[in-house]
Amino acid sequence: MRHRLLPLVWTLAFLLLAVMLSIAVGSVFIPPSDLWLLLTGNISGSLPEPLATYALIIVSIRLPRTVMVALTGAALGTSGAAYQGLFRNPLADPYLIGVASGAGLGAVIAMSIQWPYSFWGLMAIPMAAFLAGLLTVFIVYSLARVGRTVPTTNLILAGVAFGSFATALTSFLMLRSSGEIRRALGWLLGGASQSGWMPVLGILPYLIIGLSILLLSGHALNLLQFGDEQAHQLGLPVTRAKTIILVAASLATAAAVAFAGIIGFVGLIVPHVMRMWFGGDYRRLIPLSMVGGAAFLLVADVLARVVLAPQEIPLGIITALAGAPFFLWVLRRSKNQGYW
Amino acid sequence: MARKLILGLLTLTLVLAACAPAATPTTEPAPTAAPTVEVPTVAPTVPALTLTDGLGRTVTLTGPAQKVVSMAPSNTEVLFAVGAGSQVVGRDEFSDYPEEAKSLPSIGGSMGQYSYEQVAALKPDLVLAGGINTPEQVKALEDLGISVFYLGNPSTLEELYANLNLVAKLTGRESETGALVDSLKARVKAVDDKLAGVADKPVVFYEIDASDPNKPYTTGPGTFIDLLIARAGGQNLPGLTDAYPQVSLEQIVLANPAIILLGDAFYGTTPEAVAARPGWSKIAAVTNDRVLPFDDNLVSRPGPRLVDGLEALAQAIHPELYK
Repeated sequence: MRHRLLPLVWTLAFLLLAVMLSIAVGSVFIPPSDLWLLLTGNISGSLPEPLATYALIIVSIRLPRTVMVALTGAALGTSGAAYQGLFRNPLADPYLIGVASGAGLGAVIAMSIQWPYSFWGLMAIPMAAFLAGLLTVFIVYSLARVGRTVPTTNLILAGVAFGSFATALTSFLMLRSSGEIRRALGWLLGGASQSGWMPVLGILPYLIIGLSILLLSGHALNLLQFGDEQAHQLGLPVTRAKTIILVAASLATAAAVAFAGIIGFVGLIVPHVMRMWFGGDYRRLIPLSMVGGAAFLLVADVLARVVLAPQEIPLGIITALAGAPFFLWVLRRSKNQGYW
Repeated sequence: MARKLILGLLTLTLVLAACAPAATPTTEPAPTAAPTVEVPTVAPTVPALTLTDGLGRTVTLTGPAQKVVSMAPSNTEVLFAVGAGSQVVGRDEFSDYPEEAKSLPSIGGSMGQYSYEQVAALKPDLVLAGGINTPEQVKALEDLGISVFYLGNPSTLEELYANLNLVAKLTGRESETGALVDSLKARVKAVDDKLAGVADKPVVFYEIDASDPNKPYTTGPGTFIDLLIARAGGQNLPGLTDAYPQVSLEQIVLANPAIILLGDAFYGTTPEAVAARPGWSKIAAVTNDRVLPFDDNLVSRPGPRLVDGLEALAQAIHPELYK
């Protein structure tokens, strides 16, 4: 038991480190002594300068951002692991069947409308992205269905084709619009466009539902690795299990994408790294990918903030720019080359 | 199964719609944000300022802003032009004019993302956002308890003057700005007077980017470049509908512009390079040696230098009037 939990302890320790880093580091340097004072002392009281400004930065900027990035990373890492297991394909990531391209299209359509400056006006874009992402998955699922079964290959092909269609439409709309290209591009490259606690509260319900289901799906995913027929003979209601996992993963991904934009690579590499390090048992891989995804994205976000400070680099660029070499390093070092 | 999924999707929509506003304090500032405007502690004699910004928001200041952060190059130029340069404490990464703006601390923005931490650390009493900023960015700063004024992009010179007056009110520089606006109007009138009675309106092609010389980007209706070319006695390429369209070389050859202005000269495009492009050599502007580098910042930033841009355009399009 102790041995089985060890990987989780390791990744949780890494996550804790990443959270601390994310709170401590930013484009404004906060001296460690002041940081310690603020984190241990009472923040709400009236503070002398510059502590008051530091407190504002930590409480209103870094803390919500840290939570948001961690949740996004957790959603993408978990969904990525689930998709890879579901499709039995090492190239699968949470965007494989069109959540991201659909959400991108929804977001760009919403951006082309001049919304009034109000709560709902600000919510219009994430809501459009969320719904369009889920709608895309639904359309792809319907297109891929053959009778009562959903063949995996059909799902991938329908997803890729529909995704290309949505992406092309998104690019077309972006080029047609005059002023919104920067905004749309920023969204498509990933990184929280909204700050504060609102996005956290917005995605939390969906992440709780989606990730809870996925955490309970480890056994089903293990069975699915034998192939649909074998899994069926082992007593798994295959189509139902696949649909539930697909819906749960898409729900979590769509919610994350709606507020954080399209952050690539996390959902692809985190499950692989976890698999290389700790083995392919999905009962462990799913929680490990959740924690690992959160930690990895937090580190990437810290880099995005400090590399060119005070400028910020879109998060989606950092995940691939820093993530790919890291992944290749892990791949080279992995003694277990036949891990998949 | 399909029906179940549709039902599920509908339920989700309802849940999202139902829970989102309940879970968040809608338009109220975040609980941590300190109220900024209510308590006039510093100078109770100064009357409070209440203005409506480009997003339709009502912005109230206790008095003229003394520490302003500019989020757009055009805003920085406006602030310095109205005489409030000494009140600017921060600027976005693109702000490079006037020269002294470059020495101010940057708050990022070159990749569409700003460092809100830097803004908070500068402790401005006003952030001047511009047309390149999004409502989300305005909201983020508002949530930090910072007063934000969104200066909408003007689409005519009259709206530019109105913007100058707005910024003058925000920074307490009304008297200087009156003189500035008068001089800008006089310079525009001088151009108008010079062009009065000029019947020849040569076709002008304004090049933004010709990375693909068969399909360069230009500007169309709704942009200041389009407006100012007409005002400077020229005419833009006919038949354009989008603001920043990509046009085919065939269309340019057909329109046969008498003048080509290289708004991309800053990025290294030269008249020689244009002449060397396959298919461009027969265009009137190229054969008559009327391909001219042009300072794009004069016409692409909606600030007071638009009038400089108008004068430069008039000289480029009608050099005979400026001999």
